[in-house]
Amino acid sequence: MSAIAHREAASGGLWSRMSLGQKQVIWAWGFLAVPLIFYAVIRFWPTFQAFYLSITDWTITRPATFVGLENYKRLFADPLFWQVFRNTFMYLILGTPISLLISFVVAYYLDRVRFMHSFIRALYFLPFLTTAAAMAWVWRWFYQPVPIGVINDILSSFGIPQQPFLRSTSQALPAVLAPAVWAGLGFQIIIFLAGLRAIPVTYYEAARIDGLSEGAILRKITLPLLKPTLVFLVVFSSIGFLRIFDQVYNINTNDPGGPLNSTKPLVLMIYQTAFSSYEMGYAAAQTVVLFLILLVISLVQLRIMRDR
Amino acid sequence: MATIELDRLIKRYGQSTVVHGINLSIQDGEFVVLVGPSGCGKSTTLRMIAGLEEISEGEIRIDGRVVNDLQPKDRNIAMVFQNYAIYPHMTVADNIAFGLYRSKLSKSEKRQRVEQVAETLGLSQLLERRPSALSGGQRQRVAIGRAMVRNPAAFLFDEPLSNLDAQLRTQMRIEIKRLHHRLGTTSVFVTHDQVEAMTMADRIVVMREGRILQVGTPLELYEKPVDVFTARFIGSPTMNLLPASLRDGGADLSVGGSVRVPYSSATTSDILVGARPQDLVPTVADPQGLTVSGTVVVVETLGSETLVHIESAGQTVIGSAPGRQIPRIGEHMTLHASSERLYYFDKATEKSLAVR
Repeated sequence: MSAIAHREAASGGLWSRMSLGQKQVIWAWGFLAVPLIFYAVIRFWPTFQAFYLSITDWTITRPATFVGLENYKRLFADPLFWQVFRNTFMYLILGTPISLLISFVVAYYLDRVRFMHSFIRALYFLPFLTTAAAMAWVWRWFYQPVPIGVINDILSSFGIPQQPFLRSTSQALPAVLAPAVWAGLGFQIIIFLAGLRAIPVTYYEAARIDGLSEGAILRKITLPLLKPTLVFLVVFSSIGFLRIFDQVYNINTNDPGGPLNSTKPLVLMIYQTAFSSYEMGYAAAQTVVLFLILLVISLVQLRIMRDR
Repeated sequence: MATIELDRLIKRYGQSTVVHGINLSIQDGEFVVLVGPSGCGKSTTLRMIAGLEEISEGEIRIDGRVVNDLQPKDRNIAMVFQNYAIYPHMTVADNIAFGLYRSKLSKSEKRQRVEQVAETLGLSQLLERRPSALSGGQRQRVAIGRAMVRNPAAFLFDEPLSNLDAQLRTQMRIEIKRLHHRLGTTSVFVTHDQVEAMTMADRIVVMREGRILQVGTPLELYEKPVDVFTARFIGSPTMNLLPASLRDGGADLSVGGSVRVPYSSATTSDILVGARPQDLVPTVADPQGLTVSGTVVVVETLGSETLVHIESAGQTVIGSAPGRQIPRIGEHMTLHASSERLYYFDKATEKSLAVR
């Protein structure tokens, strides 16, 4: 036995002397190395670079010099930042519950529809496939005054006065949010449908035999069992609304950010700071703040919604 | 406590009929097992009794009251499902208490009922656990607990043991049987496993393709199957069926030899002679009976007995030898069955010659 092992060790190279476990480890790390290196170079390094830039005053034309927390001080003293901060949270606070409520209701009833089920599902999913730029343009037309704008047409046919929508400081943000909610519905509906389908039918049958009403079944069985789906969608859609950009940027191309910055989200502010003003250091500081907000919100949501 | 009557019960899905007008009367306190291969309509029938499927035609009466248009909750029945249908997000106690959802008992009375049921089923220690922390057998007991807690008129079981491993299945079979003995509640139990049917039932209902083939006690079905299907379905291993041609007072077997046949048939001379493997043994008892000789091809050692598969004139016949007498493969062997242990069927209609 040991004679054979000895001979193999002598004749073979390093590879043949390794145990099966060692070989598996090498194979595993060999495959893992590809995405790891990719992520390190493409994701992590730029992230750290952004952290570094946020404490410099780099402006493309000038070499970066260290300025400490100067950018952050400037940011927190900037009234525009707090306006944008409020806007971003309005997108989150309005967008997430509204979109989840609508998509759940649609999914809940669509789950029972047999007639043309796949077709209807595809219809709901279609906006998700459309580019935000095209969608924003169409919605911009919707919001025009009569006779161009469909929504104002309908309102006036009921005798309701014309609404300014995108041109109003109070209506612009909801008006921008509506297409964003609408665009995300398809995805959320599909996820909710999958979650609903995963609940065994016998749970409902047992509940019917025990005499639960539809409402009680929804409250006591469907929603609790849908919790993992719900957690996923809340976190996912929150991140989406906190990072909202393309909907806002495209719907007001001549005046990005709406009247008096009433629709400007954080990402748009970052974009303008970086690529209109070329204040890279300042933009990096804003990015770091956005990153921290996203991190905190996601962690808090996961903590709250996890099993007690 | 209740009687259940099915009267010309029909179930259609669109064009296809899956239950063809079955009649069945279940006595108060009886344990009836519906058994048959998958797709025979047994589960559909049970679900119609429960009210989970609409009845296309005919009537179901529970305690003499027509329940066709009653909601499941108004039928006062309880059902145990194959996948238990206990809720993963609730504790065992909450799951059992779910059976009392509509009852008007006070909280403490409900709690007391739940504890009582848990005691009966040996779940008292597990009441605060989640189902994920339970074994398959314990989950099944929780499901039974939820059914029991309401004192329903009848229990409906839809293949409740299919998801358990063989050992647990045997154990739960006995537990359910004992529970029925103690509670005396009318029970309808659906299974595709003939052993479950034989061991648990007061009466077995054999179903096939939406029709009832035979209703009887386990022994009646074993001793007097009305057709080839029931004969082969009940008993393990499956009954041997040997083609034979009928003549005066006897029949010539295609594998050679002849047997005495106490029946005559006006319509056919082609019959099947049936012999259960347990009745086909190496010792001669009755010269009038069946004798088959052939080469041993497979031997299954069970300990208590040895199943011997012999091949004779192209047909495989299963017999049994005593536990310690294990034949070798390739050996020549002769098996006998006495004439009163034989079954006779019309080959064309597959009906027993004994029933006419």
